[in-house]
Amino acid sequence: MKAAQTPHKKEVPCVFGRPPQLPITKIIRLSAALLARHRRCSTPTAALSLPPRVCSLRPESLSCRLSTIYSWHFTGKTKLCSVDAAMATTKPRLSSFSRNLSAVSSSQTPGVKCGPNGTMFVSSGIADLDKILGGGFPLGSLVMVMEDAEAPHHMLLLRNFMSQGLVHGQPLLYASPSKDPRGFLGTLPSPASLKHDKSRDRESEQEKGLRIAWQYKKYMGENQPNFDSHRDNKQDYCNEFDFRKPLERHYFTRQRVNCVGIQHSKNLAALQEHCASFLAQHQRNDGSSALAGRIAIQSLCAPQCEHSNMDWEMLSFIKSLKGMVRSSNAVVVITFPPSLLSLSSTKRWQHMADTLLSVAAIPDEDKELAKLLSGYQDMVGLLNVHKVARLNTQVPLILEATTFSIKLQKRRFLVLECLNQAPVDGSSGSSYGTSGSCSGSSKAGTLDF
Amino acid sequence: MADTICRTLRDGGLEGEHAPALTIKDSKASPFGFDVFNYVLTQLSNYILAGKSQSRGLVVVAYSRSPSFYVDLLKRRGIDIASSHDWIHILDCYTDPLGWKNWLIDKDISQEASSLSSFCQDVRNLDKLYSLIIEQGKGLIGQGKDRFSIAIDSVSEMVRHASISSVAGILSNLRSHDQVSSIFWLLHSDLHEIKFTSVLEYLSSMVASVEPFNQAAFGQRVDLENLSMLEQNFRKGKFHVRFKRRNGRVRVMCEEILVELAGIKFTPVLSEDEIINQRLLPKVSIIVLS
Repeated sequence: MKAAQTPHKKEVPCVFGRPPQLPITKIIRLSAALLARHRRCSTPTAALSLPPRVCSLRPESLSCRLSTIYSWHFTGKTKLCSVDAAMATTKPRLSSFSRNLSAVSSSQTPGVKCGPNGTMFVSSGIADLDKILGGGFPLGSLVMVMEDAEAPHHMLLLRNFMSQGLVHGQPLLYASPSKDPRGFLGTLPSPASLKHDKSRDRESEQEKGLRIAWQYKKYMGENQPNFDSHRDNKQDYCNEFDFRKPLERHYFTRQRVNCVGIQHSKNLAALQEHCASFLAQHQRNDGSSALAGRIAIQSLCAPQCEHSNMDWEMLSFIKSLKGMVRSSNAVVVITFPPSLLSLSSTKRWQHMADTLLSVAAIPDEDKELAKLLSGYQDMVGLLNVHKVARLNTQVPLILEATTFSIKLQKRRFLVLECLNQAPVDGSSGSSYGTSGSCSGSSKAGTLDF
Repeated sequence: MADTICRTLRDGGLEGEHAPALTIKDSKASPFGFDVFNYVLTQLSNYILAGKSQSRGLVVVAYSRSPSFYVDLLKRRGIDIASSHDWIHILDCYTDPLGWKNWLIDKDISQEASSLSSFCQDVRNLDKLYSLIIEQGKGLIGQGKDRFSIAIDSVSEMVRHASISSVAGILSNLRSHDQVSSIFWLLHSDLHEIKFTSVLEYLSSMVASVEPFNQAAFGQRVDLENLSMLEQNFRKGKFHVRFKRRNGRVRVMCEEILVELAGIKFTPVLSEDEIINQRLLPKVSIIVLS
């Protein structure tokens, strides 16, 4: 629930309180009675905390009922503020059709951010991807990444995801078809040093004066990181990772990191058990600020695994995993190569995903593509966003663009950028057939504003 | 371009990286895959003998030809056989793959070939085959940190006796072994379902496919009109290679091949590049942001 401003008290951050185990109807009656009593007094006299389970699963229905009376303000302490005045100033989310998508203030758990509609996010480890997805990966969701057989870009996404979790101290379960899954931890990137951030800011400051606003939308987003980089809190929600610097060992020896090999197991029963016991430790029921967990499964249908030809087994594994993760404070990321599955299986797997991404290779030394897209030289691949998880809401997230280029800045830092058409050669007098007001003009000559 | 493949296999993999793997695939329409395989084998052998390659030895897993064939092939190409036992070993999965003729073994192979080869009499057990390959490879290079290369005559034969997942398992384990420098194999793509071909392409870092020179002429009746085009297909073909580069991009190249008695020749193609690149443009809709 969003923080509300009150005429008497300052705004306080919302947290999920400790749960009284009451049925919802009792809660509503109790709250109505409390408020009725509160209205008669001038000062707040009572407080109510709602179980997070109720808040997270049915915030709309509960909030609808309660906010027909008042809008609620949850605190961990036993104080309740009247929010009559707040109704006028703020826009409480009364129904599932609310479009207010701004993030609520951060939770107390490191690495976890509150989002709209009672969802909590963890970072994907890539700041650009978090922005695209509206905050990150929601806890309780299943993220699937479709691999390209010709490019290892899904490994970049996995590495960032795993490193981000380890930096925040979040427990990790990693499953891989390779012989030595634990060896993969040695390839995880380390957070970039602060020195790099500062030098980047200085560079961008210097460049501002000289920049020509070609495709200015590309630069508009850059104003925000400058603000974000001045934060003082020790742990950032999303770190910037340097692929040339391996993650320090103390991150994955100290934390609970479980690595599971899936090549030699006859079926997926062992992996399912590992996931079930991991997720059982991160149940959402108690509402305490427990650490979020992360599960990363690489190349689930890799051909060297014995279960790779058991289509229905793999599908039922994914279905049960999705059910388990829904009620937990964890995120599951699964990568798989769709070229190795039948078309119907691929469709079914795509439907199972809450968030669906795909990576694609790009041809090397392609003159046509270099002419068509700006920044082609720095691109290593493409990322497509097919589906974005929308938990607890019916409102879809409509993206401005669904295809992004994957670039490794200075071969170290992963960034995602929108695809932009390269400047049209004015002498040829023709655009490349794509629409857009900039490319519409085909004549060279004086600039016409 | 075929030389580029051979150089990539020669250079091997970096520390901690999987060994480069090449799939050579052909079909009935243009059955020159084996000639390409022999070409790559000969080139790699030359590099190993000259000491220019990362690998110090070569293990040939022979499914579809006998060890004598390879000995003769190397002799014809001018490679010194006398010292061959130092750097090449042939694992004979051709003579008796299922262990049927224990009592005929000695008569089948020439003396020269038998000194360079050893038998594998149970090709169904791929774990045992894996251990044999590693053992033979280590026997060639000794105890040090040197590496060896592997050539598999035909994975099409391999998959006749074992499941796809076990073939994929052995190939991926060989690629990820510390002492394997490079590996390449031959595949006849029309003998298998598309899934198996996709699996091998997924596992390899280079895919070289041999295609008919005149695609349109293949499969048609022999007529006076298309006779010359069909005849061209008997000796010529097209060679497409897709390299998966370390930076994640895919490099595509094309050459023409001409098969003669002396061997196979590769000639560059000048005008095909644009056509290839058009096919490879990513299927994305690009929205121009003004």
